[in-house]
Amino acid sequence: MKITEEIKISDNGFVFNSKTGDSFNLNPFGLELIKQIAEDKDFESIRNVMLEKYDVDDLTMEKDYYEFYAMLKHHQIIAQDDSLDFK
Amino acid sequence: MSKLKYEKPVISKITAGVPNKFGMPAKQRIISEIDGIPVPKLMEDFGSPVFVISEQTIRDTYAEAKRAFETRYPKVQFAWSYKTNYLDAVCNVFHDEGSWAEVVSGFEFQKALSNGVSGSNIIFNGPEKSEEDLTLAINHNACIHIDHFDELYLLIETTRKLNKKARVAIRVNLDAGIYPIWDRFGFNYENGEAWNAINRIMLAENLEMIGLHTHIGTYIMVASAYAVAATKLSNLYMAIYRKFDHWLKYIDLGGGFASKNTLKGAYMPGSETCPSFDEYAEAISNAIISSEIPHENLPVLFMETGRALVDDAGYLLTTVLANKRSTQGRRTMVIDAGVNLLFTTFWYNLGVFPSKEVSTHVEESTIYGPLCMNIDVIRDAINFPQSKVGDQLVIERVGAYNMTQWMQFITFRPNVVMIDLEGKAHVIRRKENLDSLQSFEVAIKK
Repeated sequence: MKITEEIKISDNGFVFNSKTGDSFNLNPFGLELIKQIAEDKDFESIRNVMLEKYDVDDLTMEKDYYEFYAMLKHHQIIAQDDSLDFK
Repeated sequence: MSKLKYEKPVISKITAGVPNKFGMPAKQRIISEIDGIPVPKLMEDFGSPVFVISEQTIRDTYAEAKRAFETRYPKVQFAWSYKTNYLDAVCNVFHDEGSWAEVVSGFEFQKALSNGVSGSNIIFNGPEKSEEDLTLAINHNACIHIDHFDELYLLIETTRKLNKKARVAIRVNLDAGIYPIWDRFGFNYENGEAWNAINRIMLAENLEMIGLHTHIGTYIMVASAYAVAATKLSNLYMAIYRKFDHWLKYIDLGGGFASKNTLKGAYMPGSETCPSFDEYAEAISNAIISSEIPHENLPVLFMETGRALVDDAGYLLTTVLANKRSTQGRRTMVIDAGVNLLFTTFWYNLGVFPSKEVSTHVEESTIYGPLCMNIDVIRDAINFPQSKVGDQLVIERVGAYNMTQWMQFITFRPNVVMIDLEGKAHVIRRKENLDSLQSFEVAIKK
């Protein structure tokens, strides 16, 4: 799944959805994560990059990643094609 | 190369709603220690959750209240409201400061006696006094505040049986110009019921009328209401002198001063809106001094302040158990202290604070307790920084009522710790365990 075309992400963490008119704020780690998701990287490769760079354990990283991912879906930043999709 | 500090990824929707008059706080307040002891140390030593009471804060608050009244009125006596917090260690701090005891049941009466309070320094309020309770009070020469006529006649009957005199006052309910009017306790002033009761008492041979009492309500945010109450009691005080040539010893204005907690639904924080001790003292003292009572016959002013004296001294330390998202995407957090420990969370938006530097990213959140019950909500909406499992939080201003109205439900009640004036922490009530709870249960013999 990709970030939808209508989403614009600025370098300071501001996100605008031109389809819904909603705007969002990201914290620095959220910004870094969403950029990698935008590059269509899968979880494994994102995790490896983040574990290398940040002082975090793999379980915390995984838990927070999926919560963040769920919020992106909730805000329609990532299109959800299949409700059973788990990525 | 050292790794960068991690912070949970967050995305928050920007909503253009009703502008907040106060804006966002510039910096998240943190409570990292209580009276010099770090929060992690307290939780390591005494578990989580744990109530912590600051003796220093109790004494400072008491001194502030006492100064406010004693600089305005010549004869003031505080009586510690047992129901607000009747842990012995707490009561004894107040007694050490000079407080009498104000009790509302036989149980509390016995607790005051066991704390070494002289019976004549106990004010016995409340609508529930059995013959046994009244006998105890008469034998200890307590000040019995009569609540209703049935109690008055039970008291007369009991004094006859004992062939002893009882020292009494009546509780007066009145319209102090505030809503709601508390009229369920005592005798009404406006319809003459109080005056009727006074006349019957003055004619009863075994009753010595020594005072008048009123308790106009709780969390009273208008100091002038006390002035109205004090004026009405002063009128009764003078009426008794005129008719019976009898000077009462005291006027008791009860309790009801607001603490700095913020009531649910309030727009402004309680710390900004609640009257100070000085404002209450000014209203009450002025009303009595400017009444027609001659200055040489001014009564002793009794105050039964509870909440405002002890709320600030109590903290509840708690731990984050989980973070969740509701179906609406709202952040929710589960902590290990529930409404079973925090009765006052039903009235107040209690202050919840991190115990260490946290993320600067705050998000509107709901804080749930650990109970498997839908009502277990500590805060339904609070701007709170991101926290992770195991983070330690501090809930402030929980010294009043929580440690008496708490209930053993689903979990054990935790340790209660008092930090003394030297900064040492002492357990003043042990955490419950299975044995302590089961000791009350009795198996049916077959």
